[in-house]
Amino acid sequence: MTALALSSPPRRRWRLPGTATGWFTGWFLLMWIGVVVLPLLIISTFSFFSMHQYQIVYDPTLATWTSLVDTGRWVVVLRTIRFAVSVTLLEILVAFPFALWLAKGCRSAAVRAGVITLLTIPFFIDASSRIIVWRSILGTNGVVNNLLVGSGLIDKPLAWLLYSDFSVSFGMFGSYFPTAVFPIFLTLSLIDDDLIKASFDLGASRLQTLRHVILPLAMPGIVGGIVFTFVPLMAAWIEPQLLGGGQVNLLGQSIQSALNNLNYPVAAALSTIVIAVLVLMLAVLVVSLRGRFKMSSLFQSVDG
Amino acid sequence: MLDRIAEASAWNVVAIALGTIALALIYGPLIWLGVMSFSAEPLSGKPYPLTFAHYGMLFSNDKWHVPFVKSVVLGLVVALACMIIGTFLARALVRLKRPGGVLFVALLPLFVPGLTIGAALFIFLRTTLDLRLGMWSLFIGHMVWAFPFALLLILIVTIRFDVKLIQAAEDLGAKPLRCFLDIELPLLMPGISGAGIFGFLLSFNELLRSTFLRGSETTMPVYNWAMASAQQSQVPIVFSLSTLILAVTLPLMGGLFFILFARK
Repeated sequence: MTALALSSPPRRRWRLPGTATGWFTGWFLLMWIGVVVLPLLIISTFSFFSMHQYQIVYDPTLATWTSLVDTGRWVVVLRTIRFAVSVTLLEILVAFPFALWLAKGCRSAAVRAGVITLLTIPFFIDASSRIIVWRSILGTNGVVNNLLVGSGLIDKPLAWLLYSDFSVSFGMFGSYFPTAVFPIFLTLSLIDDDLIKASFDLGASRLQTLRHVILPLAMPGIVGGIVFTFVPLMAAWIEPQLLGGGQVNLLGQSIQSALNNLNYPVAAALSTIVIAVLVLMLAVLVVSLRGRFKMSSLFQSVDG
Repeated sequence: MLDRIAEASAWNVVAIALGTIALALIYGPLIWLGVMSFSAEPLSGKPYPLTFAHYGMLFSNDKWHVPFVKSVVLGLVVALACMIIGTFLARALVRLKRPGGVLFVALLPLFVPGLTIGAALFIFLRTTLDLRLGMWSLFIGHMVWAFPFALLLILIVTIRFDVKLIQAAEDLGAKPLRCFLDIELPLLMPGISGAGIFGFLLSFNELLRSTFLRGSETTMPVYNWAMASAQQSQVPIVFSLSTLILAVTLPLMGGLFFILFARK
């Protein structure tokens, strides 16, 4: 159905008044590049300027970048990478089996639609109230500690549950689970069942099928899941701010405070690190998608 | 056979258990948020004693009214813009020979973290162009966030749309505008209205981009954030307000998804 509309344009030429595809697409691209691509390019170049008495000096210099080392901000960068890597790894380890079950194991269309709905709703929920409620769960007076102390398992409340690396990672895990599942689910549900059958018919074990058939075919989705988790985690701000309690300082907070102090070059340099990670990961994603991407296939899985 | 994967029960149980834990980490706090909005001490871990005091405070306090109205108006404008631009672009995309490039650019903001695009737009608009930020810059920031989702939803219906219907109508003598209004638009409407609802909700709850682009405006999420991060005494009100908003949002989302994906 859908491939037809895409691959064979209608024989007869027809168009709608004022909605011709060409100029609108051109107009949109121009606008969109102006508000998305251009700002990202500009913020990257800003990192090569410097500030003098709150004025930008438009002379190319590496001063901002070398100052990242001198002021110890590179420690923050490394710490952020450590958080992003470990949380992403955990997300993929949990998301892959769940996505495989959702795409191939789950028999009921209603259950699948329900789970997809549950995974989508968090995109539409105010982040600060959702994250701050963890304080009343993980705090020293929180639910978890109350239950543990009340049941006699521990004598005094665990202090490391809140305002720690643990609570920040915990909050991040919940926030980015849906974005890790979706790309993996999409590619898995596009795998032809016959391929999996054929693999079993040829005598492959489940593990062999997983390793040699499913995993290679799901690779673009796994890369996509990593992109959608790792990149935003590099710029995570709400979770460390609300659940770190000043103990966990990550890149996002540094960018925010540099902007607040009108230190634009430093904010730009720190943002450029995030943008560089983004470009690198998008390049990997594009390579892994090459020759396998059809717009019509994007929606087959939700078509059911 | 597939059954061998499906019935490999140990594997399935692990997968379902992992997913359930992850979903519980998302929805547990939401339920707890609702419970604690009735608690006398919301930031402690004890729901008792129950009280309606915070809801009373919420309705007697009018500080949140202006941010709330601003968020609603902005959300409606973003929704309308998403519906119109999304419809035009999605129709154009399915008629292009090579839509990949345009689609990639249109979806690019999905990949860019909110803080990064917020900071980039701030430096571009405020420092490079030297403009005064306000509702208009919030609109741009929200469009950059909401539009890719809206476009994807409308694409679902434009890809399903059968061009032969238009050709048949033209053969019968219908003018292009009639074809569009009477045939194409009604068939695209589920996706377009979905895009409107998504656009509204994404804008209404947007925080990261708004923090940078708001100028001196305060939207609902910005207000919530100020209360939450400053650990002010207003936090209980934020809990009650978020609970009320969730009570409206969740059934709406559930119903929308049922109509879009589950009903066949």
